[in-house]
Amino acid sequence: MNVKTITSVLRGALLSVGLSLAALPCVLAQAPVPNRDVQATLYTKWINYTATNGFPEGEVYCVTVDGSRVWAGTSHGLVLLEDGRVKKVFSTDDGLAGRAVMSIAVDKQNGDVWVGTFGGLSLYSGGAFKNYTNLTSGLANDLVYGVAMQGQFLWVATAAGVNRLDTNTGTWSIFNETNAPFNEPWAYGISVAQQKVYFAVWGGGVLAYDLAKETWKPFTDPDGEQELVLYRNQGLIHNIVSSVSYNPDTKTFWASTYFGLSGYDGRNWHNYLTKDSGLASNFINAVRSRGDNVWASTQSGLSQLDTRTNTWTTYSRDQKTGRGEILITHADGSKQRVVSETAMAHSYILNTDFQGDDIWVATAQGLSHGIHAQPKE
Amino acid sequence: MITPNEYSASRGRRRDEAFLGVALLSVWTALMVFIAQQSNPAAAAEHTPAPEAAVRYLSPVALQLSPDGQRLYVVCEDSDAVLVVDTRSQRVVGRAEVGKRPKGIAISPDGTSLYVSDEASDAVTEIDAQTFEIRRTIRVGWRPVGLVTDRAGTTLYVANTLGDDVSVIDLLTGREIKRLHAGRFPEYVALSRDGSRVYVANLLARLGRPDQPPVSELTVIDCAKQQIAARLDVPGVLQLRHIAELPAAAGGYLLIPFLRPKNLNPLVQIQQGGYLTHGIAVIRPSVTSAGEARDYQISELLLDDIDHSYADGFGAAATPDGHWALMTASGSNIVSIVDASRLRTLLVNSTSMRRLELANRLDSANKIVAARLPTGRNPTDVVTSADGRFAYVANRMDDTITVLNMAHRQQTTMVDLGGPRQLSRIRRGQQLFFDASHCYQGQMACATCHPHEGLSDGLAWSLETPQLGRDVVENRTLYSIEGTEPYKWNGKNPDLETQDGPRTAMYIFRSQGFSSSEVDDLVGYIFSLHLGRNPHLAADGQLTAAQTRGQVLFFRDKTNSGAPLSPLQQCPTCHSPLTHFTSKIQIDVGTATKHDTITAFDVPQLEGAVMKPPYLHNGEALELEEIWTRFNPEDKHGLTSDMNKAQLNDLIEYLKTL
Repeated sequence: MNVKTITSVLRGALLSVGLSLAALPCVLAQAPVPNRDVQATLYTKWINYTATNGFPEGEVYCVTVDGSRVWAGTSHGLVLLEDGRVKKVFSTDDGLAGRAVMSIAVDKQNGDVWVGTFGGLSLYSGGAFKNYTNLTSGLANDLVYGVAMQGQFLWVATAAGVNRLDTNTGTWSIFNETNAPFNEPWAYGISVAQQKVYFAVWGGGVLAYDLAKETWKPFTDPDGEQELVLYRNQGLIHNIVSSVSYNPDTKTFWASTYFGLSGYDGRNWHNYLTKDSGLASNFINAVRSRGDNVWASTQSGLSQLDTRTNTWTTYSRDQKTGRGEILITHADGSKQRVVSETAMAHSYILNTDFQGDDIWVATAQGLSHGIHAQPKE
Repeated sequence: MITPNEYSASRGRRRDEAFLGVALLSVWTALMVFIAQQSNPAAAAEHTPAPEAAVRYLSPVALQLSPDGQRLYVVCEDSDAVLVVDTRSQRVVGRAEVGKRPKGIAISPDGTSLYVSDEASDAVTEIDAQTFEIRRTIRVGWRPVGLVTDRAGTTLYVANTLGDDVSVIDLLTGREIKRLHAGRFPEYVALSRDGSRVYVANLLARLGRPDQPPVSELTVIDCAKQQIAARLDVPGVLQLRHIAELPAAAGGYLLIPFLRPKNLNPLVQIQQGGYLTHGIAVIRPSVTSAGEARDYQISELLLDDIDHSYADGFGAAATPDGHWALMTASGSNIVSIVDASRLRTLLVNSTSMRRLELANRLDSANKIVAARLPTGRNPTDVVTSADGRFAYVANRMDDTITVLNMAHRQQTTMVDLGGPRQLSRIRRGQQLFFDASHCYQGQMACATCHPHEGLSDGLAWSLETPQLGRDVVENRTLYSIEGTEPYKWNGKNPDLETQDGPRTAMYIFRSQGFSSSEVDDLVGYIFSLHLGRNPHLAADGQLTAAQTRGQVLFFRDKTNSGAPLSPLQQCPTCHSPLTHFTSKIQIDVGTATKHDTITAFDVPQLEGAVMKPPYLHNGEALELEEIWTRFNPEDKHGLTSDMNKAQLNDLIEYLKTL
């Protein structure tokens, strides 16, 4: 090999090294080193409310935090917890519209509690219930899946479309297949943004209602009913949407489906399946997003996605030992397991809400309170 | 010479001719009378008398004293004004023009600002209490009446009667910050003595089955949280009005006048309170502002005597030392002075069972009422001076103020507010409307069952005594009923004169009732009652999209599938828009029950239909929806079975605009 050739090779090598060094910060930024020391930010302490300590038997469908109060909707009534204990269990004997409570919304202005049940809509105010049914009001259907407040308006998701009730004038509006792009009438969930309202429609995707323009925009699975994901992040992952959550911090709405998780930031879709993420199950009952995190309530555990680090953390319960299992899936695919002495009441997760940094989890066999521990020094 | 036969025949012919002549004369006379009536509008049009010049009375309805007691502010609902009376000279010294139909007044804690609710303007007017200049107008909910500030003077609570809610106003910004849902027709409010709570008295009982006794609600607001803290059940009563709170040393009770109806009994016996009684709710409040309903103790005492009623309790006040409570009886022109210590003794010494019995005992009044003082006509609000020496009563139908000396518990003077001297026909009728003296033992006036100028009490009454318990029928509002005859649920009363004359005398007042001229005046007043602006209809009269769709449905002549509707299946057939949305007929719409002796009922007018349920002849439909969702299974009340839920919603949205 002559000098010219050696010089040429050395120049190329130096150039390559130089370019690599220049690109290194970008590489490092895209692929952060997994932080193994995450134990301090995990929920390792759980307090459960089950039939053994005054909580009703059966599934807990929803949980809503209102300051120091926690409302839980169960298959056997509405529960109020205060200061860490069950204060009252409300049944139809107390005036609740239906036994199964699917959703709860608190009007932060006046303290009224709206309760969606399978027997109609209840308003709990000043210690008394007032009920609205399909026969006695403009409620579209007595199977009420979701409720959400937006100023003076109450949005109600039912099995036959969506209602909007002006609580000041008592005027009911109905949105269904006759005046909105509802391919299916089953509205499961609602999430209110500033100028839009998002609806999760079972079999109908996500519908967004623009309050100012009074127009609807559907988001559906481009695969239609083929149930094939031809291209990742091509659109909504599936039309059977169980819940929707709008995150004002990231301006992204997240949709939980029975076949995966989708997020849309206005430009791009972000879809997740179990096969290529730390998602516990594709069968997701509910989703909630706040800050950088997305919480998916699945049939096999509660999965948290940190969108900054692309790290998944799944909480489940070992039914044999009663201990908690925490499986952390890092962005590079590596996994980490942590065992906690206490665990959620069950691994079948239906919903969540937050009380500060604490988390409340609705499970198939009770309500669980995850206490946020202070990070260790 | 004629034969006997010829004579008989002749007599027979003359007899026949005489009969024919009498018959012809009778027909001629009737024809002449008919023609005369047609050509004499005044005689023919009994329901449309020649319009009289509009006379604007004052009609004082609410009072407020300045903190130093030197000024009495008087809200005059018929003059859209607030007067200032100097309590020393007892003369009117000022006047402020406010919004339409003012009803209530509140004063800021420092006494520098007045707030007046303008019922027909859906607003509150703020007035400088010294200069009497108008500062600003604050938008609130529908038909505000009672209002009060919090202890700091930074928040104003306003009861919106038609909206069934309370507006919470930030007085710094003058804007509503939230709306709290009260009971039905919240009318008057009061701030607790410790400033922690606002109590809201609701005029109408909760909506419920017509065959059950009414239950009213006292709504309690937590001032710190500005949220509803409790909803107290006050059973068996309605028409909760003004609220007085005794000081803690006197028991701290809330005293609220009520009416206790016996509407579920066939009205066969009026004596001894057989139709209804009048009294006060005595409520011992919870010790904490966040107390639940069960923390309050509720008792009910009657103020009627066994042989005389004191109808339509309205105003309530207590002397600052808590020794006396004053309750006006607006139908009886009386203010009852209650000895609060005797009242407390009665309650304290009663077991819980006995306290329940007190609600029906007519011997309580002689134990607790120290005096009954006469007032002017239709006494409404009452206030006491800060030193407890004087009390003032607004006499709405007299345009006067009664001044009471509380030391001697007697009337001292009557302040003339300067209203018109002449009594118009409508004014005379209005006075009669509120006057219970025509009823046996003064038990009730027209306003008793039609409070708040023609509203319905929302109850079903067993009025038809011959049937004893059958034909229990719902009360109705009196708005815009001129031209909607016949009246009565079966359409048997051809005009209002019959309704308010013989029928009222015989079945309701059980007395000689009104004279014919009084009936005429009363009818004139009732025909003057109108709903006013319907808040469900935009100010410019434009219908919303839903209301427009509903209007199309109301007037449709085809089903959704295009099949033609028969005339009887179409709404306008029975509810003609040309005559107040009633075709003035009786028709069977399939709503008769086994308790009804007829099946065809008088078609009600639909104007003002939104003004307080329940609906149908017996009040079984608690909401408009139920008329068709529950009580029209055979499409006899219009063909509606092909409508989807959205269409029914639209139809109801349209009906609410009428």
